[in-house]
Amino acid sequence: MFAYYLRLAFASFKRNPGLTALMVLAVALGIAVCLITLTGYRAAANNPIRDKNDVLFAPAVDGWDPNNAYDKDKPWKQPDLLTYRDAVALTTSGIPDRNVIMVKTAEVISRDDGGMEPEGILVRATSADFFAMFEVPFKYGSGWDAKADAGPDPVIVLSKDLNDRAFKGENSVGRTLRWHDREFRVVGVLDEWTPAPKFFDVSNGAFDDPELAYIPFAFDKLFELGAAGNTNCWKTESIDSFERFTQSECIWIEAWVELRTPGKVRAYREWMDNYVTAQKKLGRFPRPLNNGLYNVDEWLAFNNVVGDDRKAMVLLAFAFLAVCLINTVGLLLAKFMNAAPVAGVRRALGASRRDVFWQHLVEAGVVSIAGGIAGTLLGLAGLWALRAWYGRIIEQFGRTLPFEVGTLLLAIAISLAAGVLAGIYPAWRIGRAPPASYLKVQ
Amino acid sequence: MEIRPILSALTRNSSGAVLVAVQIAITLAIVVNAVFLVTKRIETVSRPTGIDEYNMFAFWTNGFGKDFNFHASVRDDMNLLRHMPGVIAATPTPQVPLSGSGSSNCVYPQPNEKGTCQPVAYYEMDEYGLEALGATLIEGKYFEPETIEWRQKIAQEPPKSGQVVVSKAFIEKLFPDAKSFVGKIIYDNQSHPERVIGVIGHIQGSWVGWDKLEHVMLQPMVSAGPSIQYLVRTKPGEIDRVMADTEAALKKSNKYRVVGKLTKVSVMKERSYSGDTMMVVILGSVTALVVVFSCLGIFGLATFNVNTRTRQIGTRRAVGARKLDIMRYFLIENWLVTSAGVVVGCVLALIAGHYLATHYGLARLELYYLVGGVLGLWIVGQLAAWHPSWRAAKVSPAMATRTV
Repeated sequence: MFAYYLRLAFASFKRNPGLTALMVLAVALGIAVCLITLTGYRAAANNPIRDKNDVLFAPAVDGWDPNNAYDKDKPWKQPDLLTYRDAVALTTSGIPDRNVIMVKTAEVISRDDGGMEPEGILVRATSADFFAMFEVPFKYGSGWDAKADAGPDPVIVLSKDLNDRAFKGENSVGRTLRWHDREFRVVGVLDEWTPAPKFFDVSNGAFDDPELAYIPFAFDKLFELGAAGNTNCWKTESIDSFERFTQSECIWIEAWVELRTPGKVRAYREWMDNYVTAQKKLGRFPRPLNNGLYNVDEWLAFNNVVGDDRKAMVLLAFAFLAVCLINTVGLLLAKFMNAAPVAGVRRALGASRRDVFWQHLVEAGVVSIAGGIAGTLLGLAGLWALRAWYGRIIEQFGRTLPFEVGTLLLAIAISLAAGVLAGIYPAWRIGRAPPASYLKVQ
Repeated sequence: MEIRPILSALTRNSSGAVLVAVQIAITLAIVVNAVFLVTKRIETVSRPTGIDEYNMFAFWTNGFGKDFNFHASVRDDMNLLRHMPGVIAATPTPQVPLSGSGSSNCVYPQPNEKGTCQPVAYYEMDEYGLEALGATLIEGKYFEPETIEWRQKIAQEPPKSGQVVVSKAFIEKLFPDAKSFVGKIIYDNQSHPERVIGVIGHIQGSWVGWDKLEHVMLQPMVSAGPSIQYLVRTKPGEIDRVMADTEAALKKSNKYRVVGKLTKVSVMKERSYSGDTMMVVILGSVTALVVVFSCLGIFGLATFNVNTRTRQIGTRRAVGARKLDIMRYFLIENWLVTSAGVVVGCVLALIAGHYLATHYGLARLELYYLVGGVLGLWIVGQLAAWHPSWRAAKVSPAMATRTV
């Protein structure tokens, strides 16, 4: 029976090819626009370290200006970065399973034997726990240990990219590089690693590439480098040396903790409250006590990584799909009612209401599947065009609009649901139409 | 022509009409909000920058090694750049306008943090800075070569000369009643005084999303290294050649200085606005499509109505209705359906606009966009119904006697 309905559907399409094409196009465009906006939304709403979402936390404290909140529209929000002294203090609680404090910085890297073109690179000055905490994949060697943090020992971990350029991709563990005029020993080389969004440092560009190398945090202060990312200050302080800068209320450091049990989370929260209360007694933290401990999902939401534009566009895309579907419902209805006498004959010859309903639902289904396929292709073409256009000026743009199987499956699911939704009413109407009235005129 | 018979005919067979009305309602809600958002974004992107961004490029340089003398290297590089054919001017600067990165400070009209401070993006440049930006002064003068401080050590204080050149938008906020601004003294939060020697009529700073984008201050200084950006302005049409020449020349000249990627300032601007232009492209296409589909929907319904009523039209014609009456019937019918959709659509548009403004921090919908949308849809609706109505009018009175 299904094959017969399919044959009937195609016969019906042949009768009005223009109208059929129009319906397919309407569904296709609706699906395409949804596919494009959903891709952007899903990429930004991604959590690259979902399996550790509930044990990784970004601590936030609010030591900002008593008269002006850090975010004027959302005064309950803490600053997204920490002062040097708070970041260092936060590592002393002894509660977390792992602690990381870090900053993005820049300097020239070179090889004394002239084996590479000297290059100005972004480096992450961070703690030993960074690699295990964020499940960073290694190709050769490993990270450094807590002893190297304390030294600090001049050790460096290279990204795959930098190792390819500096050592032609060989195992470079044990070799040396010069960075900021000091010799660093390579202890590890990473494998390909580009988490998107770059959840551990969203305030400096959520879709930026990870840094090209990693060194112990203490070198940032030792070399008086500061941050190559954001530095924000509010307080009137005379800052005439780097030492004074590290003691100032300027914020520029990122921190993360790993807390594996709810008990530890509670203990750490309590410890943070005690720390800030003690600091208040010393005259710091003029704002009301307001500490935050955000897991990865919460931290991405806190920093509005998805962005309001992307959310609004998804909303409008679905409204557009609704218009396209209503349009298709209207056209199907007109088409079916025009052919009502034929259905009348079929009813008179013994087809049940249900038969007529299913026959027309199959016809609507074929329209929506064709629309879904065309829409997916159109959407991919649109994504490709956007990637090509913006990829010209923003290297990492592909990361914000990835080709993804998940989104494709979603598009197919939407088009099927759309087809059924669009087909049910017209098919039901024609199935209910009394055959006699259509036969009379004949 | 009375509306009653049209209404009663519509209610007799209402499903198609309801669908078109709903479609028009959603269309109005989408179109009004989308056109509003798109217009706002286009306005934002096309604001005048006050600089010659299409003939400018910039890049980082980074010195390294024990023997590296930062200031000597900058002087050599500047000398080389300024003598290159096609270059109008070049300056060292820590930050570039429109690039999305920069430094800002809050500046007071009086010492000891009195008065309301105004945030401002500041740029440290040498005596060629103004020319390298392509900005123009409306008052005063720019820095003389001897006022430029080549700073040896990083410090949070203004250059020794104590001179600044500021944008009009910024200095007006500090001294709202003044007519002339040259000679005014402004203060940072350490009460360091700085004297205004020149005023730029219009210029944009670093962050295109900032509401103080036009607050800009230039200071006569070359900061302490070892890294800095070079900003170069070329003669019109020569930027690509100059960029290629620059890359080649700088690579050869100093092996203790790394040169980063050369980037056009226009590209930095495009990057800064990429979110806005993408919104314009996607919303713009959706708006156009949604209007087209609504037209097709109206057209489809009218055609369907005409086709199913051929005999009735014939009958009416046979008993005396003129072609004009028939046409008017269908146009009014369509207008009624459109109007019903438009009324619901206005409510939907306002709800959607309110939702977008409160939840997604977008600008609040301005009402005349709604008025425009309503008028537009009425016109579009009548146009879409024109052809089917005209076909209806052509139905011959003889149809009344025929059986289909």
